[in-house]
Amino acid sequence: MGNPGVKTDLKMLKKRVVYITALASFILGVLTLKPLADSIDDKVREISYLLMCPVCQGQTVAESNSELATQMRTIVRKKLEEGKSKEEIIAYFVARYGETILGAPPARGANWLLWALPALALVFGGAGVALFLRKSKSEKSKEENRKISHEPQVQAESKYLEKLNQELKKFES
Amino acid sequence: MKIISVLTKLSILVALLLLLGLLGYAVFGNKVFIKSSPVVGREASDFTLELFNGERIRLSDLRGKVVLLNFWASWCIPCRDEAPVLESSWRKYRNMPVAFIGVNVWDDKDSALVYLGQFGGGYDNGVDPKGEIAIEYGVGGVPETFFIDQYGKIVDKYTGPLTEEIIEYFLGKALSQQNGQPRSEN
Repeated sequence: MGNPGVKTDLKMLKKRVVYITALASFILGVLTLKPLADSIDDKVREISYLLMCPVCQGQTVAESNSELATQMRTIVRKKLEEGKSKEEIIAYFVARYGETILGAPPARGANWLLWALPALALVFGGAGVALFLRKSKSEKSKEENRKISHEPQVQAESKYLEKLNQELKKFES
Repeated sequence: MKIISVLTKLSILVALLLLLGLLGYAVFGNKVFIKSSPVVGREASDFTLELFNGERIRLSDLRGKVVLLNFWASWCIPCRDEAPVLESSWRKYRNMPVAFIGVNVWDDKDSALVYLGQFGGGYDNGVDPKGEIAIEYGVGGVPETFFIDQYGKIVDKYTGPLTEEIIEYFLGKALSQQNGQPRSEN
């Protein structure tokens, strides 16, 4: 014969363990599901920002509210849910709309110039500005040198004028 | 002083050469850029279209026929311009191994039905509510028309309103396609 009080306690403890386990599983499930949902949304947004809307002017698929852009976002989501990678989804759209669908042109062929030209412009522009500044600085210093070399002459001239004035005053008196 | 001017001249020369190179590549370079659509020359993706009369057609069931696949919308003015031309051309080719299919996109069903009542619609017309067929074919506006040969290959794509001459030219081209396979007459 066992103690009925201990049995009841054990039963209650078991119940509590089951409840706690169920609650913990639920919380864990919610916590793990939420980031997954977020990550698909983020991926849809990320890919949609890389694609230009074919019927809009200068808007990406992510930014446009056109029906085509909305349908394209749905296809992006569907493909992500099917387990397709970002590269595969982008390749799918490029295979149908061409490279003009891409927000940024791939750096190959003539396109590399589009990537290289800003850097080249920066280098050459920077060099040009540096040369201009160097040139103007050297001209300024030359000007200053010229001014300094003129000063004794000006002093001499003022002394001469002073003497001339004195002579004229003498002559008048 | 002399070094400065030489460097300036050199940078201008390099910039000019780069621009000339870019221009040359654009003019004489990769001719792939002038291709109308990347889907041209590929096998046409199969699809099932729900017609306005409730029936369904499958593109692959039309193998052996040249298919004129036209994407349209009731609000599209150039589509209205080409609609009578499409109808008359369909009548002209209906006894030949040619099928005309109209796909209504980015539209509402009622307006599309009014449009069809107004402009004919003797050939099969259906709706692509999710735009899946349109996106599969890389459609970026309406009207756009694809010409598919009897072997299921996309021969051409035409963007803009069709004329009888344009239809004749592209259908003639699609009909003359030979893949070394016997042409089946349906």
